[in-house]
Amino acid sequence: MTDTTATTDTGDARARIRAFLLPHMSGQVIADTDDYFALGYVNSLFAMQLAAFVQKEFSIVLKPEHMDFDNFRTVDGLVRLVGTAA
Amino acid sequence: MSAAAEAGTVIPLDPPVPAALADEVGRRLLFVSPEITGYRLDTAEDGDLRGVVLYSAAPLDAEAVAGKLNRLLDADVRPQLANPATVVWSSPHQRATTPAFPALAEAGAVTEVGEGQVAVGEPLLSLLEFFDRLVLDALAEDFTATAYRYPTLIRTDALAKAGYFTSFPQHLMLVTRLRNDVDVYREFHRTYGAGLEPGVLALGGNVDYCLPPTMCYHTFHQHEGRTLDPGVHVITARGKSFRFEAGYATTLERLWDFTIREIVFLGPRDDVLAARETFMGRAFALLDELGFAGTCETGNDPFFGGTDTPSRIWSQRLLGLKYELRLPVAADRDIAVASFNFHDDLFGKAFDIGAGDPRETVRSGCVGFGLERLAYAFLCQFGLDEAQWPERVRAGLREDRR
Repeated sequence: MTDTTATTDTGDARARIRAFLLPHMSGQVIADTDDYFALGYVNSLFAMQLAAFVQKEFSIVLKPEHMDFDNFRTVDGLVRLVGTAA
Repeated sequence: MSAAAEAGTVIPLDPPVPAALADEVGRRLLFVSPEITGYRLDTAEDGDLRGVVLYSAAPLDAEAVAGKLNRLLDADVRPQLANPATVVWSSPHQRATTPAFPALAEAGAVTEVGEGQVAVGEPLLSLLEFFDRLVLDALAEDFTATAYRYPTLIRTDALAKAGYFTSFPQHLMLVTRLRNDVDVYREFHRTYGAGLEPGVLALGGNVDYCLPPTMCYHTFHQHEGRTLDPGVHVITARGKSFRFEAGYATTLERLWDFTIREIVFLGPRDDVLAARETFMGRAFALLDELGFAGTCETGNDPFFGGTDTPSRIWSQRLLGLKYELRLPVAADRDIAVASFNFHDDLFGKAFDIGAGDPRETVRSGCVGFGLERLAYAFLCQFGLDEAQWPERVRAGLREDRR
């Protein structure tokens, strides 16, 4: 039961993250491992929007230990961040 | 930083500022009002910053200053997410480090001739040339750079295009002149023959040129509108750079008027990032070989007063857009002697610099070495006795003297 709940939560987080990202991706379809910063779909300032989004959407508080760019540059990274910071 | 024997005005910070952002407060205080000559941060037991003491020649209007300061912190600092520095290089060398400025002044090698302005003689002159050549030699290991010498003045519209006015207004230094009108010259003779006061600006008003805060803006301006060949392009220049530092200026550690060796990389994103990384590796190896103590870590530019200042600072640190090479100059203090920067397409877009077919906006990066700081850190770490300096430095200086 615990495992099933965790899977559902992760899937839900992934969907909500993808929904947030979609309008910012210049019409491109992105894979969960795509680095949208390196691909040039967003600029560096978008990182702050991501931080504000995950804090508000998932009611989490980002701490210094979460400040790893790998947590912000892909969908997979954001899902991991939300799971870690929750 | 405090000024003894001056009036101290206590300014509460409401709400308090987290301890991790104390440096961001400290680096802004002397720009809040020109009457402020020093400060002390009042840190609570929990580490949060609950107030500051501001020093001034005459008592400050506490309410007015508190309003200005808290508004600035609300915009620039409080929204920042604490983001500790990531160290990417740490020297294996430990050195006993002593500030060298008093001994240099005693020997007549440095003279403070104005705020943030220091006249330098030997051995600093030779060390400046030596370290500049060392940086260029390190660059030449991997790159063929095109060298330029730029004018001292830079066009105001070039700085505006680079976004300098909205990013760093606190550092801007304007250049003006008398209006070329014989009546103006006559009035100038009559009124200001014995000296200037700010009213003289009414006879000028020209703001077409500024003093450059760094060399890379010259490079972007020079390449404006061009389409470059594919691949990474490396441009280098050395020149005097100018930043108003208010009362933060001190010895050779922070000058209003200093010398930068700058290297700019232009090209595709991956190539520019790889070039920056390659050169960082060369620089670290060089410092290691010479025996310097120091570190290199993520840093941020002193963005000030803009609507997106917290975002820019935080993203710069998170994405590793800026690395600072920091060398100790005292037992409890280090200074940034170089920075390694990646701008992505910021300046390529602003100056319409493209490459390839089909044409794409270039990405850019730059490396800047503050030569006075580098030479000064060397003297703080190795002392003034040339016999105690690394053989490579002594041999280089001997060669220069031939």
